[in-house]
Amino acid sequence: MAGLLDKRLWIVSGKGGVGKSTVSAALALRSARAGRRTLVCEVNTQERISRFLERPPVGPTVTLLEENLWAVDVRPQEAMREYALMVLRFETLYKTVFENRVVRYFLRFIPSLQELVMLGKILYHLQEKLPDGRDRYETIVLDAPATGHAITFLNVPQVLLRTLPPGPMTREALKMKDLLVDPQVTAAVLVAMPEELPVNEALELHAALRDQVHIRTHAAVLNGTFPDRFTDGDLEALSGSPELHRVTKAHHDRASLAELAGTKLERNLHVPVYPVPRIFTPAFGRKAIEQVMGHLEPLVTGAS
Amino acid sequence: MSTDSLAPALAKKRVLVCVGSGGVGKTTVAATLALRAAVEGRSSLVCTIDPAKRLANSLGLSALGNTETQVQAQVLEGLGVKPKASLHAMMLDMKQTWDDLITRFAPPEQRERILSNRFYQSLSTALAGSQEYIALEKLWELRRRSNYELIVLDTPPTAHALDFLDAPNRILDFLDNEAAKWLLTPALKAGKIGLSLFNLGSSYMAKTLSKFTGVETLQELSSFMLAISSMNEGFKERARGVRDLLKDEQTGFVLVTGPHPERLDEVTHFRTLLKQNQMEVLALVVNRVHPHPSRALWEDAARLTRSRRTKVEETLEELKVLAEQDARAIAQLSAACPDTPLIQVPRFELDVHDLTALWRTGRYLMGDEQVP
Repeated sequence: MAGLLDKRLWIVSGKGGVGKSTVSAALALRSARAGRRTLVCEVNTQERISRFLERPPVGPTVTLLEENLWAVDVRPQEAMREYALMVLRFETLYKTVFENRVVRYFLRFIPSLQELVMLGKILYHLQEKLPDGRDRYETIVLDAPATGHAITFLNVPQVLLRTLPPGPMTREALKMKDLLVDPQVTAAVLVAMPEELPVNEALELHAALRDQVHIRTHAAVLNGTFPDRFTDGDLEALSGSPELHRVTKAHHDRASLAELAGTKLERNLHVPVYPVPRIFTPAFGRKAIEQVMGHLEPLVTGAS
Repeated sequence: MSTDSLAPALAKKRVLVCVGSGGVGKTTVAATLALRAAVEGRSSLVCTIDPAKRLANSLGLSALGNTETQVQAQVLEGLGVKPKASLHAMMLDMKQTWDDLITRFAPPEQRERILSNRFYQSLSTALAGSQEYIALEKLWELRRRSNYELIVLDTPPTAHALDFLDAPNRILDFLDNEAAKWLLTPALKAGKIGLSLFNLGSSYMAKTLSKFTGVETLQELSSFMLAISSMNEGFKERARGVRDLLKDEQTGFVLVTGPHPERLDEVTHFRTLLKQNQMEVLALVVNRVHPHPSRALWEDAARLTRSRRTKVEETLEELKVLAEQDARAIAQLSAACPDTPLIQVPRFELDVHDLTALWRTGRYLMGDEQVP
């Protein structure tokens, strides 16, 4: 099985609250430790990754967090400005035109323009070169929005190609689409928790990415699994104290649910599923991320 | 310890709006509120966005459609309760609601032109904020033409809960903006985007913009704006209606969140924004809280054989870590929102999305029970 290190753009998505940012942070950290210049992108959100790695917030500017690891929170207004400057080349021209009140209104009306410039920025960094011709970032980890928004977000180039007449926006969209759908470049990692809804959403996301966006699912991460700790004998022995029985039964049920969720993902996605056990720590920080990273080692390197 | 409860609101409000970011159990809370109100004797409707299939099934609805469906009394009998009033449920179909709106209010000769315009297609399906707008629009319509004593609205999962308040304004700007009309109408009259687009003498503005978007995009947009402009008065009036409804004293917001410190800023910001807009925040519901394992559990564990005791204590230790984590987050939340009632709902053993789970959730929302 090929590891993520064979790809350059790692897209992480799944239902809200399943731990996408945790997984993104762990994957990015692992990539950086493998010696690859790595950029991890959050998309216009409450920043989590810098916090997990116990660094100050990075905001909309690409910022070095530690050796080989950069982070950015991609925001529409800044991305729009960067894109406009690339097209227009002159700061003063940008200011005159884009900071005009009427034009600002107008730009908001162009459907999907915000998503297009944000995705455009991420894909620009994917192609960015160092002066010596090497890629500036060898890995880009995209901490994508949750399921529905992720599909909309990643589908923007193709929707624009269908709905807009040919022009500058569609030229950009075509370039972006080609990068996104290239299986040599892009790999999607779907995150779920061992519960019914997140697993179902992962399946829906998988189908939508495959059929609409044409991005292949590389692997799934089952986050927050419980180990199989109590035997049926244990539960029977505890039936004398109902409260204790309830607690241990709950643990036992969660463990079986994790097992079931893993099987369901494997059967439907036809990709490897990597379990990450629930981590019990008072403060979820760098140490926890490093633990998660340890569990994701085979996903990154491809070692079995 | 205060007993915060949504019971008074459930007895007198006519509209409840559940807001919060994705994955926090908003739909469950919304459905629970409608169920409890019906049980207590007020006819209720829950309007959900994307319910779990099991929830729909457990309400005895094979598929929640874009129309209101009554939940049969016998479905609720399993709970051992007999609702004193009817419970209805529906699932909002965004595209359908948009199309209905246009079909009903556009002048007949413009209808097809609007429905087939590519900008309309993306407005009604993909444009950010469109879901939020149409959900509020539907709420207003339901309130006006139906007799439910209570309507509970579940809102679309937003990455930022704040989008919910901002988005409708964005859509209204889109549909009804003097600046945009001023910008685009001359373009249509001129037949093409040219120097006549801006009458301010800054002709390079138009050129630069079209460099950015393409000339034809501007043309198509202006044709859409023109087609829909006859509806502007109607949209404006309805928007006023929606705003008034949200500020009405019979309307209240329920902020749903999880016990996560990283959600703290979002929740407090959203609460501030609602208050600034004179909208009433009834309660902050913190869902899926891990309760502290009781002392009795530890005592019971101490009496077990050694190997079992180790395993059980390990489990209790883990639960304690989670409970402490949640307690810290809740303390922060409560300090940040001092005058908003805070209601905790525990994490149930398994995440079930059925009537029993709704009923159990309800006991906490109504203050019958509290997280230990």
